[in-house]
Amino acid sequence: MTTSSARLSGWRRQQLAGWLFLAPAIAYLLFAFALPIVYNVMLSFEHTSPATIANFTAPWAGLDNYRFILHDPVSRSAIVRTLVFTFGSLLGQFVIGFALALLFSLRFPGRTFARSLIIVPWLLPLIVTGVIFRFLFQAEGGAVNQVLIDAGVVHQPVQWLNDPHIALWTILIANIWLGVPFFTLLLYSALQDVPLEVREAAIIDGASAWQRLRLVIVPIILPVIEVTLLLGFVFTVKVFDLVIGLTGGGPANATQLITTWSYNLSFQVFSFGEGAALNNVLLVMALICAPVYLWLSRDSLRRSSGTAR
Amino acid sequence: MAQPGLAATELGDREMTPFQRSRALRWLCTLAAVAALVVILFPVYAILVGSFESTETLFSGKFYWLPHAATLDNYRTVLGAASQSTQETVTGAQSGNVLTSLIVGLGTAALALVIAVPAAYALSKYRLRVTIVFVSALLVAQIVPSIVLATSLFVFFHWIHLVNSYPGLIIADGTYAIPFAILVLRAFFFSLPNDLMYAARVDGASEWQTFRLIVIPLARSAVITVAVFAFLAGWGDFIFALTILNGAGIEPITLGIYNYLGNYSTDWGAVMAAAVFAMVPAALLLVMAQRYIASGLTAGSVKG
Repeated sequence: MTTSSARLSGWRRQQLAGWLFLAPAIAYLLFAFALPIVYNVMLSFEHTSPATIANFTAPWAGLDNYRFILHDPVSRSAIVRTLVFTFGSLLGQFVIGFALALLFSLRFPGRTFARSLIIVPWLLPLIVTGVIFRFLFQAEGGAVNQVLIDAGVVHQPVQWLNDPHIALWTILIANIWLGVPFFTLLLYSALQDVPLEVREAAIIDGASAWQRLRLVIVPIILPVIEVTLLLGFVFTVKVFDLVIGLTGGGPANATQLITTWSYNLSFQVFSFGEGAALNNVLLVMALICAPVYLWLSRDSLRRSSGTAR
Repeated sequence: MAQPGLAATELGDREMTPFQRSRALRWLCTLAAVAALVVILFPVYAILVGSFESTETLFSGKFYWLPHAATLDNYRTVLGAASQSTQETVTGAQSGNVLTSLIVGLGTAALALVIAVPAAYALSKYRLRVTIVFVSALLVAQIVPSIVLATSLFVFFHWIHLVNSYPGLIIADGTYAIPFAILVLRAFFFSLPNDLMYAARVDGASEWQTFRLIVIPLARSAVITVAVFAFLAGWGDFIFALTILNGAGIEPITLGIYNYLGNYSTDWGAVMAAAVFAMVPAALLLVMAQRYIASGLTAGSVKG
């Protein structure tokens, strides 16, 4: 009797301790994520002005802000551009990242050293990456144009940042450069987990290198490919610093993405309601991934207490 | 079907495909890796060189592959020593930049640890009803774009007078680091045997003592990984600095770079010297904390 009641109180004590350990994180998540998201939804239905920001509420606007987003040509093209930019980036990052991951899983002199340096772009502040590429892609005195002209590829300097038809490509190149290390690293560690016997069996069966890759290796590492693409999507859809550093959304709004245009609406013209409506479009695009992400992470979710992997 | 003789030779050298046994091809791989590294590292090299160029060189319309008439003027400008010699296009961006970024980075790391270490412990070693819901919320939180949070946080901070303050910026920067930190630490705590905790309880340790004296010391490497990433998140943050700092007063280095860019004319020398300063922590960590970075990167991080 005494032991069971002692055990019960021990269990209660542990529950209490667990909740206390978790309490700061719950409070933080509510304040820094849940409330802002809810408030952002509220803002998107309000007629805001610099004056209303000081108060808790502003006049109800119904769907006016969303109507504005639908009819504002810059907002509309920013939404389409964000999608095109994101999928273009993913394609480039995946192809190059996978190629490098395959390269690094071969054995050659210097591969460990090379692999340790490849993460450099990932560690730089994004605004730094933006200004570096702005420097390299200058029309006059930029390294890229100089190489292209010296090699005879072009005769006139390419207006990488000032031509509305080219500027988005420049950002795409910078973003691919930025994302490749992440893809390389995750895909490389997945490739390391492909059992040697499986590869040997494929060789014995006479499969060509391409067949081994397509029919044996890719199916095995498919879960990692899925997670990597998903995280890459989420990461690219919210790119902001890079665009600000490179073009600031210009020339003539030709490189405005949802994030940069929303910043412009909220913090340059102080239409927080319209900015919030555009934010919600972005949030929906990002959160479409959430169920897939949760499903792909189901193993880590189900793992409850104690059992080591 | 398979030809036994062929297979035997092909597998004679384990771990190597036939392709790789050719020495020439192996060197070709090295060549390909070098080419990839050149593309990956050249931008960093270019900004290092550029940071030592004079304003005349930078505006000469020609790119120099090696330093041309090297000078430290740009660094003087950024550190606020020689602001008379350059055009005064920028005000307020002075030597405080690096110090400000250090405070923000360290503050973000401290906040992340204080919140994430106990939370991760609770989510891995206590059977709480909320565990699955809360971990799902963390995964979703990593997906939320910062601009969505920035708009609302700016208004909240306006109400509670945290605009233009270190605590405000650090709380905002925590959104990059904290969900990630909890998930990484939780995965680590799973690897600690439960017997450790049982033994401490049997010996009469309180839950807090167990956490403080047994768990935290064992988690050192995971805690360092998390702290490194939280620091980098706070150091490299731009979007919250741009929105929450709102102009005057506190200015981290990322915002300093942006201000040097200017609206109409760019002070390239200052931009690049500031960018070099901004790259220093990444470079140091790459050298000193390589293994922590590698383990953190593969933990499925979402940056930005």
